Amino acid sequence: MLRRAWALFRTLPAFRQVPSLLYWSPTVLFATTALYVPIHITGRSMQPSLNPDSSPWRDIGIFDRASVRVSRDYQKGDVVALRSPGDVNHMLVKRIAGMEGDVVRTLPPYPDLIVHVPRGHVWVEGDEPFYSDDSNLFGPVPAALIDSKLIAIVWPLPRVGRVSRPETPRESEAQYRHAMATFERDRSRSAKVTFDGVAKY
Amino acid sequence: MSLHRWSPRWLSNFRSASWKDRGIYTGKTCLHLLNLACAIHLISEYIGRPSTMTGPSMLPTLAHDGELVIEDRLSVRLFPERISRGDIVILQSPLEPGRIICKRILGMPGDIVCVDPTGVLAPSTEHVIVPKGHVWISGDNAAYSRDSREYGPVSMSLIQGRLFARIWPLQKATIFRNPATSLD
Repeated sequence: MLRRAWALFRTLPAFRQVPSLLYWSPTVLFATTALYVPIHITGRSMQPSLNPDSSPWRDIGIFDRASVRVSRDYQKGDVVALRSPGDVNHMLVKRIAGMEGDVVRTLPPYPDLIVHVPRGHVWVEGDEPFYSDDSNLFGPVPAALIDSKLIAIVWPLPRVGRVSRPETPRESEAQYRHAMATFERDRSRSAKVTFDGVAKY
Repeated sequence: MSLHRWSPRWLSNFRSASWKDRGIYTGKTCLHLLNLACAIHLISEYIGRPSTMTGPSMLPTLAHDGELVIEDRLSVRLFPERISRGDIVILQSPLEPGRIICKRILGMPGDIVCVDPTGVLAPSTEHVIVPKGHVWISGDNAAYSRDSREYGPVSMSLIQGRLFARIWPLQKATIFRNPATSLD
C-alpha cells in the first residue's frame, strides 16, 4: 500500500521537478541573498514610513544588497538594514541621519547633546523616536554593519511602491495635517545634522 | 543529435548542428556556468574560502605576504556564541567599510582588559570593560597593528569568519588551534 502510494507520488509532475529545482537553487539563492533581499520588517521604530498603524500587515521590503556591498552606495536619508552592533543575531531597519564627519544633535538617551560622527561610522535613527533603539542608544555605528538599503515595499499590496521622502501635499485638511507633521519630522531630523553650525537639508 | 551531453564527437556534432541548435546549446551552457558561479559565491560567502593575507600586524603567526589561508565562515554564522578568546578572526574594519582585517580576540563581552599594557597608546593603568556584543581585538605584532587599542572594542557583528588553516606555503601548513589557557 505504502509502496504503491510512493510509486504514485513519484509520478507526480511536481516530484519530477525536484532534482532540477535543487540543481538551479544556487542561482535562486544568489538572487535572493546577494542581489535583492526580501526582509519582513517587524517593530514600529520606522513608523510612519514603515509598518504604519493604518496597515493590518507588517511590511515586506525588498532591500538592495549588491550596491551596498560592492560600491558602498548609501546616503543620508536612506532606509537601511544593518546588523545590530550589540546583538549578532539581530538586524535593524533604520534611516541614516548622519554620515561620517557630520555633527548630529542627539535625542535624550544619549549622554551628549551633539556628537561628531567619527570616521567610518554613520548615525542611524528610527523615524519614530520614542520606540526606536537607534544611535541615540548605542552611539554611532560602523558603516561596515550596513547590510542593504530599502528600495521598495512589496507587501501589503496597498502599500506597494518605493519609500520616498515625505512631500508637502494639498489634499483634505486631515491628510494635509498628517502629511505636514511627517514632513516637519523629516525636516527636524535633517536640521539636527549641522555643518559648522549651519543646518543642511 | 546529442549536443547536450559531452561526448568525444562533441565538436563535430556542434559543427554539423543547425545555427538554432548551436544557439540553444550556447545559451544553456551559459546558464549552467552562471549557476556554477552562483554556487561558488554562496559557498565562499557562507561556508568558507581560501584567501590571501597581507600586512605585518599578525607577524609571528602569519607572514607579511604570500600565504594562503582558509577562512571558516560557517561556524561563526551557525554558532556565534562559540567565538572565544584566542581565536583569530576575520572581520570588517570599523574605520574603513569594505576593508577586511584579521586580528586575535583578547577580550569577550564583560571582560576587563588593559587598553595598552605597553603604555604607548594609553596609560598602562587604563582598563575598560568590554560591552555586551563586543570583543577586544589585537594584532599579534603590537608595534605594527591598528586594533582595539586605537579604536576600542568592536561589535561582534563585524566578524565574518575565523581563520581555520594555512595551506600555503606547504611546509608551514597548519590548522590554527586556540592557544588560550585559563588560570584559576
